Amino acid sequence: KMAIRELKVCLLGDTGVGKSSIVCRFVQDHFDHNISPTIGASFLTKTVPCGHELHKFLIWDTAGQERFHSLAPMYYRGSAAAVIVYDITKLDSFQTLKKWVKELKEHGPEDIVVAIAGNKNDLGDIREVPMKEAKEFAESIAAIFIETSARNAVNIEELFQKISKQIPPLENPEVESNDSFKLTRAPAPSTRRCC
Amino acid sequence: MAAEDLPSEFDVVILGTGLAESVAAAAFSRVGQRVLHVDRRSYYAANWASFTFNGLLNWIQQYHVNELQDWSSLLEDGEEVIYLSNPDTASIKNLQVFCFTSEEDEKEEEASSSTPTNAAEDHNINADEEAVKESSETESAGNTVTNLLVAIDCIISEHSILYNPCNSPENVPDTARVSKTGSYFYLRLMYSRGSLVDLLIKSNVSRYAEFKNVTRILTYRQGKVEQVPCSRADVFASRQLSVVEKRKLMRFLTSCMEETEEQMAYHGRPYSEFLRDQQLGDNLEHFILHSIAMVTEHTLTEEGLASTRNFLQCLGRYGNTPFLFPVYGLGEIPQCFCRMCAVFGGIYCLRHSVSCLLVDKDTNRCKAVIDSRGQRISCSHFVVEEGYVGPERKRVATPPRFISRAVLITDSSVLSSNSDQQVSLVTIPPIAAGCAAVRMVELSSSTMTCMPGTYLVHLTCQSSGSAYEDLSPLVSRIFCTPDSPDQGNTQNCPSVLWCLYFNITDGSGLETEGHDLPSNVYMCSGPDGGLSHENAIKQAEAIFSKILPDEDFCPPAPNPEDIIYDGDATASAEGEDKEGEDKEGEKENQDKLEEAVLTEETVQTATATSTLPSG
Ligand SMILES: Cc1cc2nc3c(=O)[nH]c(=O)nc-3n(C[C@H](O)[C@H](O)[C@H](O)COP(=O)(O)OP(=O)(O)OC[C@H]3O[C@@H](n4cnc5c(N)ncnc54)[C@H](O)[C@@H]3O)c2cc1C
Ligand SMILES: Nc1nc2c(ncn2[C@@H]2O[C@H](COP(=O)(O)OP(=O)(O)O)[C@@H](O)[C@H]2O)c(=O)[nH]1
Ligand SMILES: [Mg+2]
Repeated sequence: KMAIRELKVCLLGDTGVGKSSIVCRFVQDHFDHNISPTIGASFLTKTVPCGHELHKFLIWDTAGQERFHSLAPMYYRGSAAAVIVYDITKLDSFQTLKKWVKELKEHGPEDIVVAIAGNKNDLGDIREVPMKEAKEFAESIAAIFIETSARNAVNIEELFQKISKQIPPLENPEVESNDSFKLTRAPAPSTRRCC
Repeated sequence: MAAEDLPSEFDVVILGTGLAESVAAAAFSRVGQRVLHVDRRSYYAANWASFTFNGLLNWIQQYHVNELQDWSSLLEDGEEVIYLSNPDTASIKNLQVFCFTSEEDEKEEEASSSTPTNAAEDHNINADEEAVKESSETESAGNTVTNLLVAIDCIISEHSILYNPCNSPENVPDTARVSKTGSYFYLRLMYSRGSLVDLLIKSNVSRYAEFKNVTRILTYRQGKVEQVPCSRADVFASRQLSVVEKRKLMRFLTSCMEETEEQMAYHGRPYSEFLRDQQLGDNLEHFILHSIAMVTEHTLTEEGLASTRNFLQCLGRYGNTPFLFPVYGLGEIPQCFCRMCAVFGGIYCLRHSVSCLLVDKDTNRCKAVIDSRGQRISCSHFVVEEGYVGPERKRVATPPRFISRAVLITDSSVLSSNSDQQVSLVTIPPIAAGCAAVRMVELSSSTMTCMPGTYLVHLTCQSSGSAYEDLSPLVSRIFCTPDSPDQGNTQNCPSVLWCLYFNITDGSGLETEGHDLPSNVYMCSGPDGGLSHENAIKQAEAIFSKILPDEDFCPPAPNPEDIIYDGDATASAEGEDKEGEDKEGEKENQDKLEEAVLTEETVQTATATSTLPSG
């Protein structure tokens, strides 16, 4: 049986660039123009095979906290990868990309895999951001680069495949967990030995 | 990232992102209330925040005057104004930083047995009575762990740099340099059982946070640090207990789990007396009173027994001691609740405040607030962190209560063991009559708060004087500082490389009733003396049930696997469990959760049990 590895991925970028739409397309293969910012999802998951492992992506959306620049540091904690999204039809959203990169450097883990996604590439006729420029910027920060369309399901799978490939395989699966843990309903089954 | 306007109407507006406010925000949003949650600071968690020292210094230094703006033009007929104030005024005072680094290069380790000439300089910044703190754009960087790691890094690699600012002639620390040192500003532990843990699990907020266990409990006694045996394994492994003591301790701990007539007879009398009469001997009496029950000589038997039981019940739930702490600090917990609120539609604005409330004169209700940008926002209820409310409107304990804190960076553990990755809680009974008991937590580098080879130590007690007066006598006994009495004898003591003292307002000083506020305005207090998070959770729950008596408080959020986007708007309404129509569904959800926990490692196929609206 293949080992399942949970990978937290967080999404960054201005409001309206299509972050939630990308998640929705990837996880449920669904697109809706009136996607509600409120979906009650802590994160969404999707499992994809990668080499000898299964990667279970835990995809965290901003929950709208990016709107007034109030993302909490806890949002970035423990992320294996971050997808920074801009809208190819909005130059502004590309210009603020650098701000998001900086924010990620400050708050994110050191060895995080960064991907830059130029979304809405179905709207090529009103494009404001040349692909070349974006690609060069991505290269300059050693990030993955891809243009996507959540609407037409273009390059969404590919985006996550690229991320998967950049995640270094586990040397020794046993050693992965350091001794921190999550609180769960079922009390630790270890023998209750209080004297 | 252009600034947008906020909607002009909400059900609940919440000011301040401390634990109680954040729990309340999550609870309201979870059941469909429209929540606006703002904080004038640039970081989450208010006085519960986990800071780097950089953040703390910025915070202290950036005071400037709060200009009151006149928003009376926005008033409607029959309304009056209550102005709000700055939450940070007077919540911190007596901040003192000391730096003790040897003049020798750290390579010369052999020389370290001779006590080096130390340099100490006292930077005393009095923050109370100052006006306003305004957070700078970049300050939130101060909260990050990345920073923290870099920070502590530099203590080691740039030893001499750390040394310089302390000796520099100017009276204010050179922030650019001191910023390289970081430490959690407010460290708190949690019992592995209790309201906070229950709520985290019940609401599923627990999936946002990771925890570690305190690995051992120590105590300071007769000038020595000793390990407190608390689990069965500890007791048997203990070398400082005799066989007779081991047997007595086991018998006592087993017997005290049940209420006996013998115990009843001691009700109303001190627990210490009860323990003495159990013929346990000094050793065991000390361990039980100070380290297991963690009470004082004067605590009554019933209370002491309850504490002892609580300790024993928490033991073994997640590890060998009853205490947990969130990785990255307690400041994460309010953020987790805020995320839950946002996930259900709550709107978040940091660096954004409420300048005043508009109150209807006839009904004495707050109809709207004016935010710091001068926008009028109507709300049905307003929840506010205590600090924003002026002293003339609230009732607090007199004299005001404070907590004394010290944060040290040291070069070795107070009790070395075969592992250098211990996280220790040290209980320290009053060192002299009239002194408070002190709790000390020592973190090793495994907690990601400090570099390998250093330890981060927090000390906390109720204030009687300044933090320095309250805690430095103890620090100089347990650690090696230039003030340490017995220089020849301190080779084995850890050296203090750096330390910080400060006082912070004790949230337990806020009265529950009797404030001069509109009837739909609710106040939350900050962290208290460190005895429990119970208070914050209770406050949030009380506010919630006052406003929505029939709603469930923080029901479990659906599992990621159970969420499906549904384009069909009609279908979405019925699946929402916020109507509270069926307890059945709730139960089912609960079962699902248990199942999910049990089968965590298996791939879950998406099931369409809870359909959420997508439009
Ligand atoms: C030994 C000790 C050290 C601590 N160190 C720190 C610290 O360094 N910094 C800090 O900020 N906080 C500290 N705390 C406070 C600690 O964080 C809280 O007690 C704990 O987080 C409560 O969590 P809870 O809300 O889950 O449990 P709660 O529901 O608040 O408490 C569970 C039960 O424990 C009881 N209880 C609470 N506190 C005590 C106590 N002290 N002794 C006996 N019974 C108690 C409560 O009455 C309740 O019945 C310490 C507490 C103790 C007991
Ligand atoms: N044409 C087009 N529109 C898109 C695409 N992705 C998202 N959108 C639309 O852009 C708007 C904002 O998307 P959303 O996912 O909410 O953005 P978010 O704020 O970044 O989460 C919505 O109206 C989407 O329908 C895309 O690939 N092409
Ligand atoms: Mg979105």
